[in-house]
Amino acid sequence: MLGRSPRRRRRRALAESYSTGNHRRVEPRCLSFDLRPLACCEESNILSQAESRASASSVLLRLENVGKTYHMGEVSVNVLRHVALEIRDRQVLAILGPSGSGKSTLLNIIGGLDSVSEGRVWYRDREMTAFSPRELTTYRREIVGFVFQFYNLVPNLTARENVMVSTEISRRPLDVEEALRLVGLSDRAEHFPSQMSGGEQQRVSIARALAKNPELLLCDEPTGALDYDTGKRVLRLLVDACRKLGKTVVIITHNAAIAQVADHVIRLRSGEIVEAHDNPDPAPPEEITW
Amino acid sequence: MKVLDRKLLRELRSTGFLLLAVGSIMAIGVSAYNALGSAYRNLTIAQRLYYADCRMADFSLDLKKAPLADVAVIAQLPGVVEIRPRIQFFATVDLENVVEPINGIVISMPNERRQVIDDIVLRQGGYFTDRRDNEVILNDAFARANKIYPGMWIHLLLNNRRQELFVVGTAISSEFTYLVGPGSFVPDAKRLGVFYVKQTFAEEVFDFQGACNQVLGRLAPSVRDRPEEVLRRAEILLDSYGVLAAVPLRDQPSNRFLSNEIMGLRAFGVINPAIFLAVAALVLNVLMSRLAEQQRVVVGTLKALGYSRGAIFWHFLKFGLAVGAFSGLAGCALGYWLAGGMTAMYDTFFEFPNLENRFYPDLTVKGLAIGLACGMLGSFHGARQVLQLEPAVAMRPKPPADGGAILLERWPALWRRLSFPARMALRNVFRSRLRTAAGIFAAAMGATLSVDALLLAFETSYMVDFQFELIQRSDIDLTFKDEQSREAWDEARRLPGVDHAEPLFDVSCTFTHGSHSRKGGITGILPGATLMIPRDTEGRPLRIPESGLLLTRKMAQLLHVRVGDEIELRPTKGLRESRRVRVAEIADSFLGVAVYADIHFLSTLMNEELAVTGVQLKVRTDGSYRKDLFREIKQLPAVQAVSVRADIIRSVRETLVQNQHVFIGLLVMFAGVIFFGSVLNSSLVSLQERQREVATLRVLGYGPWQVGSLFLRESVLTNGIGTLVGLPLGYLLNYGIVVAYDTEMFRIPLIDPTQVWFIVIGLGAAFGLAAHLVVQRSIHRMDWLDALKTRE
Repeated sequence: MLGRSPRRRRRRALAESYSTGNHRRVEPRCLSFDLRPLACCEESNILSQAESRASASSVLLRLENVGKTYHMGEVSVNVLRHVALEIRDRQVLAILGPSGSGKSTLLNIIGGLDSVSEGRVWYRDREMTAFSPRELTTYRREIVGFVFQFYNLVPNLTARENVMVSTEISRRPLDVEEALRLVGLSDRAEHFPSQMSGGEQQRVSIARALAKNPELLLCDEPTGALDYDTGKRVLRLLVDACRKLGKTVVIITHNAAIAQVADHVIRLRSGEIVEAHDNPDPAPPEEITW
Repeated sequence: MKVLDRKLLRELRSTGFLLLAVGSIMAIGVSAYNALGSAYRNLTIAQRLYYADCRMADFSLDLKKAPLADVAVIAQLPGVVEIRPRIQFFATVDLENVVEPINGIVISMPNERRQVIDDIVLRQGGYFTDRRDNEVILNDAFARANKIYPGMWIHLLLNNRRQELFVVGTAISSEFTYLVGPGSFVPDAKRLGVFYVKQTFAEEVFDFQGACNQVLGRLAPSVRDRPEEVLRRAEILLDSYGVLAAVPLRDQPSNRFLSNEIMGLRAFGVINPAIFLAVAALVLNVLMSRLAEQQRVVVGTLKALGYSRGAIFWHFLKFGLAVGAFSGLAGCALGYWLAGGMTAMYDTFFEFPNLENRFYPDLTVKGLAIGLACGMLGSFHGARQVLQLEPAVAMRPKPPADGGAILLERWPALWRRLSFPARMALRNVFRSRLRTAAGIFAAAMGATLSVDALLLAFETSYMVDFQFELIQRSDIDLTFKDEQSREAWDEARRLPGVDHAEPLFDVSCTFTHGSHSRKGGITGILPGATLMIPRDTEGRPLRIPESGLLLTRKMAQLLHVRVGDEIELRPTKGLRESRRVRVAEIADSFLGVAVYADIHFLSTLMNEELAVTGVQLKVRTDGSYRKDLFREIKQLPAVQAVSVRADIIRSVRETLVQNQHVFIGLLVMFAGVIFFGSVLNSSLVSLQERQREVATLRVLGYGPWQVGSLFLRESVLTNGIGTLVGLPLGYLLNYGIVVAYDTEMFRIPLIDPTQVWFIVIGLGAAFGLAAHLVVQRSIHRMDWLDALKTRE
């Protein structure tokens, strides 16, 4: 470690804590969708220290008095105010709110895409708001999987290649074929985004997020651009990612019905949390309507 | 292959025309670098090897006649390593089947083969044998042009006697790498030959036993760059033998032509590639900025997925590097091919033993590096732009472009008069500053190159016309060996077919004014002469003063004299008495450093009644006389050289002008690539950016041609402004070249650029329109309904 900067040491430590603990790259792993949650797999040594430390009730992320202000010329817009929130392991969290309520900004902060103007964010026992840009990159790479409203696929890559965009940089990726199989798109692997329907594209997007084998799946209006039936199928995938694969899933939506599938729901209005409640009996996606 | 590299490959493929436009500009830049660099090295290496092989002389002294024992003192001068006295004369050659007399330079060589200064390299046959005294070795180009082979007999008129000589071989020599005859400035292998004869034969024929009329010398490396002192001392030592000329290597005609060409290649090897590469980098910049902008969501997503800034930056930089690598390689290949063409062209001008187009690995590596550097430079801005976006911001659609008023709108009176499409075009041009700047710069450089190339072509053509139509109007010029009396003129007038004849009196002398001294000649012509009319650069005939001299401006500059000053002149032949003469007039001229005087005045000055050293002839146009005329000329013993104007003009046009046309055609084509490429790139990028705008216009009822006309207006605006900027720049570049080539040998005339400017405006418009047709095709093919649906 001689000669290494403290910042670099910290980054390395962070990366190690995300990884297997013996910091070796693990080969892509096959899963079957109906397997037990990953955390329970005996033979699995791909779980991170962090994951294995976690219990169903442990806190994955904690936001303390978070505020976000955008300055546009002489005008300042407070997008988030005094947001305090805990996100627990292996739960589905729904963040509800109308347009402009600050949902996307909150998601971006949780995902390490945006910075806070005030307050602090903790990832387990590490302060995320003190992360360097490189540490943030490592955080996004190892911990978070994003699912976007408009899928954000790379247009000139096939479905398989879009998933590979994730697996190539991940320390403990899933097998690409398996990720596609999970979302039911094995037969569409060689298609380009322009050759697929919106639902299929969103499923590729989910496969891309899952393929990194992240702890946290952040979904920004994942059904927003989809029709009713397709939307429900996508929701099923996300819920399964939590229930069967042990991921923490955060869904932001303006659609109150979707919140029924969540374990915990918070409601945002004008940048503030106006309501938060647990949902002891989440509904299966197939049973909800909107 | 990494998945991002696959993405890159597909993007490269799908960018198609745009990439081709940028790539070809860059490839041409690299090829210009490679071709000019290779040609420069080919010539430099060939020159160095050839000069070393032939032991090229560092200086030569032309004498009237000097005993060998007396010239030996030159070898004792400090700095002189070795000398070679030799005999050199002009002769006319009579070849069977050739009507016109041919000029020849006869040079003595040792009877037995040994290495000498200004040695020869044998090409066919062998060196002299012991079998006969009258053996000759011909210069190879002449032998080839006239189909003369070893074993044949030829006839030369040497010292008023017709000599039969047996050809034993053909050879070349570095002193005649560029061999030009009297009155011309391009080689004409058919009409001028070099004849190497045995030393003993030359001594006997010219009556030069134990004497020479030329001394060649080699200098120690330490004084090679400043031979003046050695030459000054040598002139003093040999003064009593009449030093006609003391020529250092750099003024040796062949070397001067060759060195000028090499220096020109070096200069162009920097200027031209720089222009292309600067344009390519800028145009690539526009393309990359667009690509980066287009991919902001992809970039945001990659960042969200955990790709580092470095990885994304490198990914975008690789786009530019790929373009650079491809263009670099294509440019090097094209450059090598062009260098081959240029070298082959030089091979027709210059006679080298082995002028070959070599492959220079370091030039290829450098060319590739230049391509990569240019690609990197061109993509750096775009790649950096991507990185500056915060991931969260990158994923949001780009805010609408700044829609504020442009500068022109501050003048409402002007603005209101503009049509709606004109206003749209102006706003777009002003708002996309980088693209507009790149477009203007590219068009300006395209115009600069074309103006310069076309001006050079027009100037060369003008110079040839000026020299051979306006100044020199005779059909045939005869040069006599020595001064002749009026009878020679009368005799020439009586030759068959001659309509009119005018005498010339050339006096070689040294001009001195204060500390400035220069060797040269005075041409005496008849007052009111019609076959040699000295003119100023405007083409106005100059009146030859009754007394005093008329100096060309270059000579006046060299001697630092003005009208009214007196200069001292000392003839290098005859009695060599100094005289003081007034400078009556100074005139501009393009060729040489001529000095004119009234033939009567000059004869009197030289204490002669009317001396004649040459006669100019105007002959009948029907041509029936030709055979008789040339037969008689060949028999005139006093004639040393004959030049036929039609032959000179033909050879000038065939070689110089024709080759120049190829060169200029290439340059204009390259400039066209710039015009075409930049308009295409900027319009297609603009079209991609404004797909929704185009779709909206189509919904509103605009037809594809109307939409196209909006884009056309923009490209006409940028291309037009650029071209207008490039016109004076091209003139300036041309002016720089004209100044750089202001030598004693010739000056390039500066001509009125208006005509060229109009041509270039036409060229710019034509190439721009051609590019617009491609854009128009894209507009026609655009799926505008789909574009409307496209989410930003």
